[in-house]
Amino acid sequence: MSDPILLEVVTPNKRVFGAQVSEVSFPSAANGYYGILPGHTPVMTPLGQGLIYYVQDGEKHWLTVFGGFAEVSSDHVTILARNSETVDEIDLNRAEAARQRALKVLNEAQTETDLNSAQAALDRSIVRIQAAGHPGGHGF
Amino acid sequence: MAGLQDIRRRIRSVKNTQQVTKAMKMISAVKLRKSQERLVSLRPYADKMKAVTLSVVGRIKGHHLADELVLGPSAQAFLNPRDEKRIRVVLIASDKGLCGGFNANILKMANVFFEGRSKADVVLDVVGKRAADWARKHGFKANIEYLGIPLTGVARVSSEVCDSAAAQYHSGEIDALYVIYNHFYSAVAQEPVVSKVFPLEFDTPANDGKSGVPHLLEPDPNTTLEALLPRFVETEMLRSLLESSASEHGARMAAMDKASNNAGDMIGRLTLTMNKIRQASITNQIIEIVSGANA
Repeated sequence: MSDPILLEVVTPNKRVFGAQVSEVSFPSAANGYYGILPGHTPVMTPLGQGLIYYVQDGEKHWLTVFGGFAEVSSDHVTILARNSETVDEIDLNRAEAARQRALKVLNEAQTETDLNSAQAALDRSIVRIQAAGHPGGHGF
Repeated sequence: MAGLQDIRRRIRSVKNTQQVTKAMKMISAVKLRKSQERLVSLRPYADKMKAVTLSVVGRIKGHHLADELVLGPSAQAFLNPRDEKRIRVVLIASDKGLCGGFNANILKMANVFFEGRSKADVVLDVVGKRAADWARKHGFKANIEYLGIPLTGVARVSSEVCDSAAAQYHSGEIDALYVIYNHFYSAVAQEPVVSKVFPLEFDTPANDGKSGVPHLLEPDPNTTLEALLPRFVETEMLRSLLESSASEHGARMAAMDKASNNAGDMIGRLTLTMNKIRQASITNQIIEIVSGANA
């Protein structure tokens, strides 16, 4: 039997993923993580940033997501992400370097804008590092 | 008949023109590829965005709970559109010519669209010099002129238009937003279209029957709709701009290809004439020599 939920992840730059899966989890902007199983009631919510996982053929796979929207109905989940990438696309060294850089800026930042952008960069790099490491649980 | 020297000069000049058109064709091909790549990668997102918006708004619209929702300004625009009195139109053409019927078609479309509309009821934005010229010629005062926008600048334009259109809607200045642009089918096929960005028009019945339950909008309907709808408008604008850009380069490439071919034909014809004239003069000389020898 093929998996019952059609998961589609698209960004303005490309189509990241599109296939049948049996379970999806994604981070919302306000309410934390949603876990979606077949037959879910229709939901529409803005996304935060973090990790999406889906179960395909009994195996768990991970994607990163940075903002956007998710639309859920009984047999499909559509993720309109501002940005999203598969684990394969993540350059761990680059993410680690970005994390170090962000931490350094955070310690030295003078203005609030600097502080905010550094914090955002730090959050992004942490998401990528976690995705690359295939964590067993729900991010953070 | 023109002299040999004249024809040689013509051939040289046509050859030069051909070189220019060939180069322009090559440049357009490169630019087309770039625009097309961006367009092709955006299209799935834009399509999904539209499908999701239609499904979310459509299901709320057909549902009795809709009346109980307290809606924010953007959601109002989509769910309960006002009567269309004043509209905002974004007319997208190109900065440069030499692209076949690209600009002519889009401006013809604009002429038809604006026929019977009072200029006072239209807020017009133009993208591209040709559109700006058209607006001036037809007595429109363009609200914003976007000239010489590079491919990297289209995202800024679309978010600007989206933000200011939303502000204008809320202040009651406009009731609808239209875009007139060239839809890109392939390098040789483009079609001018008028598209209404908001309020949304539902071609299909609002409720698709299969799942008439409106979406749970979390964390709450207002936050979600106010976040989604502007993004939808922005994505549509961006798509229109990219469609137009790809169409422009496609049209120019086709036009320049044709021009190069025509130049080639012309060179062929001129060379033939030149050879005939040369042969005629040689024959003449031989006749003179022969008749001189006979005498």
